[in-house]
Amino acid sequence: MNDVCVRLEGVSKRYPHFLLDNISLDLPVGSILGFIGANGAGKSTTIRILMGLVRQDSGSVQVLGHAMPAEQTAAKLDIGYVSEDMRLYGSATLAWHMNFIASIYPQWDQSYADTLVRRFDLRPEQKIKGLSHGQRVKAALLLALGRQPRLLLLDEPTTGLDPVARREVLAELMAVLADERRTIFFSSHNTLDVEQISDRIAFIDRGRIIALEEKEDLLDRWRRVRLVVPPSAVLPQFPGIVEVGGTERLPVLITNHFDPAVVSLCQDRGATVQSIDSMTLEEIFVANVQSRRELQPA
Amino acid sequence: MNSAPTNYARTNYAMVRRLILKDWYLNRWMIIGSIPAGLASLAIVLTGKQVAFLLSIILLCMVIIGVGAQLAVVTTINERKEQTLAFIMSLPVSWREYTAAKILANLIIFLIPWLAITAGALGILLLPGATHGLIPFIAIMAVEMLVTTCLIIAAGVITESQAWLTVAILCSSLGLNILGYVFAHTRGIAPQMWGMSVHWTAASCTILLAEFLVAALILALTFFVQSRKTDFL
Repeated sequence: MNDVCVRLEGVSKRYPHFLLDNISLDLPVGSILGFIGANGAGKSTTIRILMGLVRQDSGSVQVLGHAMPAEQTAAKLDIGYVSEDMRLYGSATLAWHMNFIASIYPQWDQSYADTLVRRFDLRPEQKIKGLSHGQRVKAALLLALGRQPRLLLLDEPTTGLDPVARREVLAELMAVLADERRTIFFSSHNTLDVEQISDRIAFIDRGRIIALEEKEDLLDRWRRVRLVVPPSAVLPQFPGIVEVGGTERLPVLITNHFDPAVVSLCQDRGATVQSIDSMTLEEIFVANVQSRRELQPA
Repeated sequence: MNSAPTNYARTNYAMVRRLILKDWYLNRWMIIGSIPAGLASLAIVLTGKQVAFLLSIILLCMVIIGVGAQLAVVTTINERKEQTLAFIMSLPVSWREYTAAKILANLIIFLIPWLAITAGALGILLLPGATHGLIPFIAIMAVEMLVTTCLIIAAGVITESQAWLTVAILCSSLGLNILGYVFAHTRGIAPQMWGMSVHWTAASCTILLAEFLVAALILALTFFVQSRKTDFL
């Protein structure tokens, strides 16, 4: 019994102006990975490699126990893929698409698909070209979920959606998560969406994974500390300082290894801790990316 | 997690069939619309005049090549342009099945009117009093149309580019005219062309065989090039 759903080992892919560099990650069965990166960071390339649609130059890729891209046909029987740049056939109806998918996937669940049609407020007899962007995304998601996939690969599915449609899509994904055997790989540059549904987080920047860990651990480690430092005081060495802002007297420190013991140490040295704030995933992502870019300019 | 050994190299013919039917369904109006155009062209022959026969052949060629080229555009170029390729490639489909489906969907649609029209044209030439000597030349030109269509389909499948497909269509049209002229003046064909009996000379047989080989080579090359691709999106 293998409990790893996705395994990437040393995966690289070179394009003329971009390098996906030595990507390694494991995704256990039943987990939800939020894959966060700026535009052009390598999110879509990674997902396309996972789908077998792009062949890696080096490294190995295992998806649901299948080596990719060689065994993509077998793997894709159990994958639901929705991408921001994926379109359905405009001249065909949603009902035609549902029948087409049902003819391919023996595990297609028509009653669940019908439920999603109602929940997403879609009309099966409507042609795809008559749907709004939000409805098209929901239709694509319906076609992916109806086939009961063991792995959902979602490449920026909520991009361009209005708040109502985004909420509907995320709510359905949350409902899907009730099935503990289902694994989700969710890429987005919208950290709010990722924060809501993910239990693991990966940051990717300029083709490299710069963080990969449990969401709660990540949120626990990062803190913004505001201090008041009198002229005579000397601050202790903070572990994991990523960014120092503010002024000399009123510094604002961002640390990725927050230790409560340092607070009392500061106070012992005459500094006043004004506040210790948790950071949002977006703030952590931006601070992480900026600090690494300062260390390793392009 | 399952990891049962499976022969992944095996082609899933059921999937290929579904993809072919998908393309035909999505382009059904164009396919259906070409039938009356083809029949109308054929009807001109019934007037019984030699000029009408030539006009009919020209119109039929235009319909066949036009439908073939348009279908190649719609089923290959538009798949990428309209971003439906990601949807299709997200299904349990390999590059081999995708390529086979695209070639077959286009080729079968072409072959149905092509076979009917070629058989019709040859049938008319076999009628008593007809210029039977034209049969080898007509057969050569019919197969030449098959070759050019294979070239157009291959360009569409391999490049997925409107520009390259246009180049292929232009080359095909030009090639058809030039080769038609060359064959009509080939020593082993020209002297017998307007006679009342059929002469399958070594030259006409060699050209026919070469045309079939070129068509097969184009299709084999398409699969080879597709197998070398590393990116499908």
